[in-house]
Amino acid sequence: MTATAETPATAELGRARRRKEDNRLITGQTMWTDNITLPGMLHMAFLRSPHAHAKITSVDVSAARTQPGVIAAFCGADLADEQGSLPCAWPVTEDIVIPAHPPMATDEVRYVGEAVAAVVARDKYAAADALASIDVTYEPLPAVLDMRDALKAGSPKVHEAGNKSYEWVFANGDMDAALHDAPIVIERDYRQQRLIPCAMEPRSVVSAWVGDEVTLWSATQIPHVLRFAIAAFFGIPEQNIRVIAPDVGGGFGSKLQVTAEEVLAVLISRRVGRPVKWTESRSEGNMTVHHGRDQWQRIKIAADSDGRIRGLEVDLLADMGAYLMLVTPGVPLLGAFMFPAIYKMDAYSFKCTGVFTTKMPTDAYRGAGRPEATFAIERIMDELAAHLGVDPLEIRERNWIKHEEFPYTSICGLTYDSGNYEAATARAKELLGYENLRAEQEERFARAESVRLGIGVSTYTEMCGLAPSRVLGSLSYGAGGWEHASIRMLPTGKVEVVTGSSAHGQGHETAWSQIVADQLGVPFEDIRVLHGDTAISHKGMDTYGSRSLAVGGMAVVGACDKVIEKGKAVAAHMMEASADDLEFTGGRFQVRGDPEQGRSIQEVALATFAAHDLPAGMEPSLDSDATYDPENFSFPHGTHLCAVEVDTETGMVKIRSYVAVDDIGKVVNPLIVDGQVHGGIAQGIGQALYEEAVYDEAGNLLTTTLADYLIPSAADLPSYVTDRTESPADNRLGVKGVGEAGTIASTPAVVNAIIDALRPLGINDIEMPCTPERVWRAIEAARANGGAA
Amino acid sequence: MELEHSFTVPVSKERAWDVLLDVERVAPCMPGATLDSVDGDAITGKIKVKVGPISMTYAGTAKFVERDKNAGVVTLEASGKETRGSGTASASVRSVLEDRGTETHVTVHTTLNVTGKPAQFGRGVMNEVSGKLIGIFATNLADMITNSEGGG
Repeated sequence: MTATAETPATAELGRARRRKEDNRLITGQTMWTDNITLPGMLHMAFLRSPHAHAKITSVDVSAARTQPGVIAAFCGADLADEQGSLPCAWPVTEDIVIPAHPPMATDEVRYVGEAVAAVVARDKYAAADALASIDVTYEPLPAVLDMRDALKAGSPKVHEAGNKSYEWVFANGDMDAALHDAPIVIERDYRQQRLIPCAMEPRSVVSAWVGDEVTLWSATQIPHVLRFAIAAFFGIPEQNIRVIAPDVGGGFGSKLQVTAEEVLAVLISRRVGRPVKWTESRSEGNMTVHHGRDQWQRIKIAADSDGRIRGLEVDLLADMGAYLMLVTPGVPLLGAFMFPAIYKMDAYSFKCTGVFTTKMPTDAYRGAGRPEATFAIERIMDELAAHLGVDPLEIRERNWIKHEEFPYTSICGLTYDSGNYEAATARAKELLGYENLRAEQEERFARAESVRLGIGVSTYTEMCGLAPSRVLGSLSYGAGGWEHASIRMLPTGKVEVVTGSSAHGQGHETAWSQIVADQLGVPFEDIRVLHGDTAISHKGMDTYGSRSLAVGGMAVVGACDKVIEKGKAVAAHMMEASADDLEFTGGRFQVRGDPEQGRSIQEVALATFAAHDLPAGMEPSLDSDATYDPENFSFPHGTHLCAVEVDTETGMVKIRSYVAVDDIGKVVNPLIVDGQVHGGIAQGIGQALYEEAVYDEAGNLLTTTLADYLIPSAADLPSYVTDRTESPADNRLGVKGVGEAGTIASTPAVVNAIIDALRPLGINDIEMPCTPERVWRAIEAARANGGAA
Repeated sequence: MELEHSFTVPVSKERAWDVLLDVERVAPCMPGATLDSVDGDAITGKIKVKVGPISMTYAGTAKFVERDKNAGVVTLEASGKETRGSGTASASVRSVLEDRGTETHVTVHTTLNVTGKPAQFGRGVMNEVSGKLIGIFATNLADMITNSEGGG
């Protein structure tokens, strides 16, 4: 916390600059992967399993090979000797079951959409048409769709080893004592429905070999991890692999993956000796981009009669889908530490069982584990408040960590460095007009209006800035959590910043420029940020988990420090002064107490480039590299309040107003932060009201189009009121991260509001998404049960 | 998925029974169906089905697995594969004939398993499409029976 004061006086930090990358992104004037056309490039299409579960008894691709325009066709057996298994980087327990996951199925398919053959042709239409002449014979096996049934004795098996992948437990404090004689014990089952990430840009891959070197363009969030994975798991020497993530149109976790299609593009383009491209259709994507959430949460809270929490017990079932992909089993663990949220308690226990089903694998989706946890705790806090008949904000205040208690070690052992829940909540109440709305709600209840008003509360926190490498190690994750940056001082005084955080819409180019402009005292316009190409940015851990600014931004600061350190030596030599007497401020090295005497960083850069007269033994370069490994996570928090109107005759929910007050530490660019908060809230509202991946009883995905899988549009959403409070974060920029906050906070705020409106009818839960039909049915069922009118 | 349909034909139950089991006469009543061969109980053929914007042709086999004239129950099992595309369809069709004097009421219970593209349209569309097909089938069947009866 102390270091925050060392941040130089700022001109750029906090400035609402328009994003420098937006012009090319929103006009499409850029190199999306699907725009890439290489000489001799071929197009690939995949034949995908129509069965949720089946033995493959034969695949005959010979007829496809004779179709017009077709160059080659492959089935799994053709690639068996080189395709290996897609990696899972997070074996969460020692006895975890990680089934083999060939990129192309060879003898068994386990979800609808699994690739069983590929055609490579001169154009994508010829490739798609030729799929029809591939003859596959399947012997159907029973589908396993409900993870609760999957664990029952006698359930059909997804894999030989059974349907349980792992069981992971965590406990702290004396749960028996907490539960013993507890005056209040409330237990609930909550459903986190399966979601489909809908990035605006579909997945797309181009692979091209020259000799024994391959270049892979992919719409990925993780070019560096992908390069490592291809080297480590598919036998291609790392130095011969270049991965390029050109501009990427969103990911939300769905492109935090090493996909079958990427690996197959690499292997098949090597086979055919020509570049190969594949771009998914939206329907193909809905089926085969990894899905998110899909948990059953049993949560039990024990409290004293004044509402003070004694203990919290969580028992999760997490649907892995058919295989474990890059971080599939770890996603629920990211939530494990977040169920206690901002609350103090004596005991906590957590158990998660990872379950296989014959569905698309799940993996990280915006928030990854933390939205699920936040939903469950914020929902049950409302149940506790209702049980005691106190305001939901009151029950939270009785239990949350007071601002003077920071730093505070949570029951999970996380050290929350800072926070001020009182301030964020007070501001949110003021902005919403909380007391007035409560009064209106009471009046309308009294009048028994058919349209009911509900107010939902979500006082969330999250752990982000992923992640301290030692913590990842203790959780058996397969890599570290550091980030890399380098600065190149160009001879003309301009600056290139290379970041290992590969942006895909977050605005790194603008934010990083603002940071460097302040650190080096150079104009914003003189800075160019490079990312996403492993030949340019050779090291990195990429972008996910709200890590870019809190980790990658700090690496940029570290690299700037080194430039200044070197520059100081050169400037001192130029001025015949002692480096110890120089200070660096506003882009100038100057003698302390004599600001007239000085050299600008641009002058120093040029002098270093010329190298005619440098200090003895100094190399002629100001360039620098820095790698930053955070000591701790960062803990953004905030209070979101949502007011809804629920029509009890139609079940229609309308969001009337939404207030988000977030504490994300220092803000580099308020426009970017607002964008993240707005988009995040929309995505969380999507889960609360609209989105659900639906499989039929045979395992066919029914929500394969955007007409069936509803994502909210601007017309469905209210105008948000956003504001911020600020408590310092324990890094030099004072930043915490904001990429996931909106998604984490908004889902429980909306559902709590709906339940708040309907609780007088005797309703205490509605499974998400709270569609008009589900809300209406809940109301009808409650009325049939004699709930108050 | 389970589907339930019914129709009425203007002949006695006994007459309806004979017609319904005469595959070569019944098949042309099904819109889009063509018969390739009938060998005892084993039937091979194709059926073309249009669901919304896409149409599929399934080629496959069918056979009678239950024939109980007294109870008026006949069960046909069929399975096929898309001729272009990777989808499959299989159905178990159980028809129950009910005597209503000069008419016969036929209740058809179908257990249908469809994979591939059409399956993604979901139960609502499948129900509607199959309902329409059965409706046309029943009309055609009634016409065919009426005409052949009329013709003596």
